[in-house]
Amino acid sequence: MSAHTHVEGQLPHEPEKATLEGRNKVLGFWLFLGGETVLFGTLFAAFLALRHQVLDGPTANHLFDLKLVAYATAILLTSSLTSVFAIQAMHQQKVKSLINWLIVTVLLGLGFLGLEIYEFVHYVHEGHGFTTSAFSSSFYTLVGFHGAHVLFGILWITLLIIQLMRKGLTVVTAPKVYVAGMYWHFIDVVWVFIFTVVYLMGKVV
Amino acid sequence: MASNQPATEQNTKRHKVEGPKKHIVAFIFSILLTFIAFATVISGEINKDFIYIILLGTAVLQVFVQMAFWMHMKDRGHKYALIGILSGVFVVFTCVIMAEYWVWW
Repeated sequence: MSAHTHVEGQLPHEPEKATLEGRNKVLGFWLFLGGETVLFGTLFAAFLALRHQVLDGPTANHLFDLKLVAYATAILLTSSLTSVFAIQAMHQQKVKSLINWLIVTVLLGLGFLGLEIYEFVHYVHEGHGFTTSAFSSSFYTLVGFHGAHVLFGILWITLLIIQLMRKGLTVVTAPKVYVAGMYWHFIDVVWVFIFTVVYLMGKVV
Repeated sequence: MASNQPATEQNTKRHKVEGPKKHIVAFIFSILLTFIAFATVISGEINKDFIYIILLGTAVLQVFVQMAFWMHMKDRGHKYALIGILSGVFVVFTCVIMAEYWVWW
């Protein structure tokens, strides 16, 4: 891997902001996150409007297991911290440590995804399918959309790890890593609202 | 748009490499806020509206920690980023208020 790290001179201190393209990428990504906020916000609004319409299906209070949610939250929060460490390693130009922290982040993301799949399978066995009620449909749409974002993040960061191994850390690869880190934090922010609005508020009767 | 300063200025500018300490503090703070939120719900004896206020308060604080420290929003040059996110948040507020208060009028 070290054979392919770039040779021509030193990298700037913040390689993700060293080129205009890099700075535009970061700004563009912030605007994209604004759009993502709207996407998730409308799903949250739909869930809030429909959360009491359970028909014959189980209610939120009956269904949710806070222990499982607490584990998922701890995993995702920790992965947010490891992605911060990855960006710090990048700023110190420690490519090996950067790649290792990204791998830890991906593994934690996979753990979160595994818990979520287990949770959904468990709910379906409890008679809480996608078409059971307006509550279940809006629940699966909102939480499933978040899970899909986690899956996308895992695939994205995995590809970045491969690219870092092959091309090393350059002013071209650095903005990509930085932006992926921002995406991962955003996923964590959305999860904060999911465990608050969906799970915790669902347990308050 | 993104500040169009040349890369050389970035190079010569004295740059302090930040340690992991600040981020670990932010992490512990996040865990603490999460714990408060879960504990409030599990204890369950308190007034419902009060629980909602605590839950929303801890969530908003936690988002602030993530955005400011981990997404570097506190650093300079994030004006357009803030405008982008806040316009998103404005739309979300409208939708949520509509869903909470108008749908089942």
